Amino acid sequence: MGRRNRKNQFPGGLTGGLYKPLTEEKIEKIHKAAMKVFEDTGIEVNDERALKAFHEAGAIVDFDKKIVKAKEEWILEKISTAPEAVTLYGRDEKNNMVLDGYDVYIGTGGTATNALDLETGERKPSTLEDVQKAARLVDALENIHYFVISCFPNELEKENIDVNRFYAALRNTTKHVMGGVYTREGIENITKYAEEIAGGRDKLLEKPFLSFITCIMSPLVMDKDYTDLMIAAIESGLPLATPTAPMAGSTSPGSLAGTLVQMTVEALSGVLLTQIIDPGHPVLFSCVPTTSDLRTGAFCFGSIEMGMMNAACSQISRFYKLPNYTTAGVNESKIPDIQSGYESMATTLLCALSGCNYIHDAAGLIESGLSISYEQYVIDNDIIGMCMRAVKGIDVDENTLAVDVINDVGPAGNFLSHNHTIQNMQSEFFYNKVSDRKTRITWEEEGALDGTERARIIAKDILTNYKPNFIDKEIEEKILESTPGMVKKWLD
Amino acid sequence: MENLFNNIAEAVLDGDINETQRLTEEAVEKDATAKEILNQGLLKGMNEVGVLFKQGELFVPEVLVSAKAMDTGMQVIKPLIKEGDIKKSGKCLFATVKGDLHDIGKKLVSMMLEGAGYEVIDLGVDTSPEKIVEAVKEHQPDILGMSAMLTTTMANMNDTIKALEENGLADKVKIMVGGAPVSPNYAENIGANYSSDAHSAVELANKLMV
Repeated sequence: MGRRNRKNQFPGGLTGGLYKPLTEEKIEKIHKAAMKVFEDTGIEVNDERALKAFHEAGAIVDFDKKIVKAKEEWILEKISTAPEAVTLYGRDEKNNMVLDGYDVYIGTGGTATNALDLETGERKPSTLEDVQKAARLVDALENIHYFVISCFPNELEKENIDVNRFYAALRNTTKHVMGGVYTREGIENITKYAEEIAGGRDKLLEKPFLSFITCIMSPLVMDKDYTDLMIAAIESGLPLATPTAPMAGSTSPGSLAGTLVQMTVEALSGVLLTQIIDPGHPVLFSCVPTTSDLRTGAFCFGSIEMGMMNAACSQISRFYKLPNYTTAGVNESKIPDIQSGYESMATTLLCALSGCNYIHDAAGLIESGLSISYEQYVIDNDIIGMCMRAVKGIDVDENTLAVDVINDVGPAGNFLSHNHTIQNMQSEFFYNKVSDRKTRITWEEEGALDGTERARIIAKDILTNYKPNFIDKEIEEKILESTPGMVKKWLD
Repeated sequence: MENLFNNIAEAVLDGDINETQRLTEEAVEKDATAKEILNQGLLKGMNEVGVLFKQGELFVPEVLVSAKAMDTGMQVIKPLIKEGDIKKSGKCLFATVKGDLHDIGKKLVSMMLEGAGYEVIDLGVDTSPEKIVEAVKEHQPDILGMSAMLTTTMANMNDTIKALEENGLADKVKIMVGGAPVSPNYAENIGANYSSDAHSAVELANKLMV
């Protein structure tokens, strides 16, 4: 006799779309405006290879000013080679994700440079150990669907960061790993050892369990370094996100629609470059629209407008028949608290309900993405679970209408021990882990803990007792030996 | 045979009423004693249910159905039970007090107590002190449980206890109270015992029976 493993009834991949911030007409207007910006203003591309590629593919390129302009018809034709659905695999196939239609997956984000100490709460520069612990925590938390590498190992030399960050993540979770990259060599070496893990390059490309992020700068710039990395990432053959993060009011217009217009131009630029260099390359329409608090100029990751704009990205990306990468759940709070809770919930819920495919940054990040908090991962695991429950919606059928059951129980009866209740209690209700629903007396007897303290207990328990499915020992030895700059000792 | 007892326990844990009945009948046919079936099968399963419920692994509806399954098995072995085979946990009399029509909490407590082996007599809702006094005289329970959902009807708990005192019954029965407005302080003031939910109500009842 033992514990029962309950199946997660609200897993990733449920179909959203109940919330539609834009009408068809509004989407069309945003598209037309974006096309006009592409044609009249263009984007600045600070990489010779990319400029040439755009030129050879038929865009209007001013090599002196490094400006690329393009017309609607050309843009739509070039992006049409991009896949409508992209599958991101996990080392374990149960964690595979098919980013299609309005199907929803929600995961973590990066790259924070600090981590809050789980014992003292003190904010410290993040290390490679924090990457490993965050990956392990996420591997254990059932509602977080993938791992975008959480933080920056401050103690390592720049040239060694990529290979160690990715290995720290891959080693500690069998969920899909995506991460930002800092060097071309890093991208190449990561790809090499990923081939080793997969059992060959063909197998890796067939089922890529990792992917890269390379950024576009707002407003309208493809940066020299990032574009070089973008090209290296395309050459790796692995899936790619090319996010752009306009801040409404400072690096994009002080209006939501204007920010979406500019963001659409930037997001399409990344898709265009990948499709020109490697037609059919798996790429995401990658969006991080944010706002500025115009009272101070402060950057806002947790504003409600940010949630609305990211939710709109599911509709805009589907207009272009592209899978999307969006952003929610990150917040401005300096510690896991009420603010981190309500800001995280508001933006994640909007994006989930609108059917965003790959909602990142939605677990563990606080302080506008500058810090990770282990408690926040546990809290966000509950928040994401609640959001996925809402995505599933209200089922109405003969079973759920329960007319016979009501008749069976009758006036003044109760439904607690009815078979119908048992049959539906998992599929109809989400059960929070962190939320306290006990009586006040019991709560007091258990130490009168608040939500953060309860989350801390869960995080500690996982980090103490949970062991992920590590990478095969023999392969690991080979990787640690042959990859330059690899750390040799890893968390057990 | 040991395997069969384990399967009975498993069936109780699964809340599988038909399977519990079938396996218990099989055990009887194979000449197992009532005591063996009870202790190594039915009760073993129900004890595991209690443990898993406390850990949050099992939910209330599952506990209630497991209790039903166990009861089905009990009906099968009832004719075979000898004196001393079973220690009854105790007899409880339950009521929602006068003026109050809420009873889902009380029903839940009743069902959980039944699952823990108590005999429960439920007087229903809106029960006057006089009616409760009469029932205590008639049934002679070990425990009287009173429930109230409203602050306005909560005072009727006290009135009922006073009525029991006037009839010389207050010493003869342990009193448990519960419901949203009731606090441990209030319970103590009126000479009753408080528990905050169905699970702790069972624990409290066990404590009062010692």
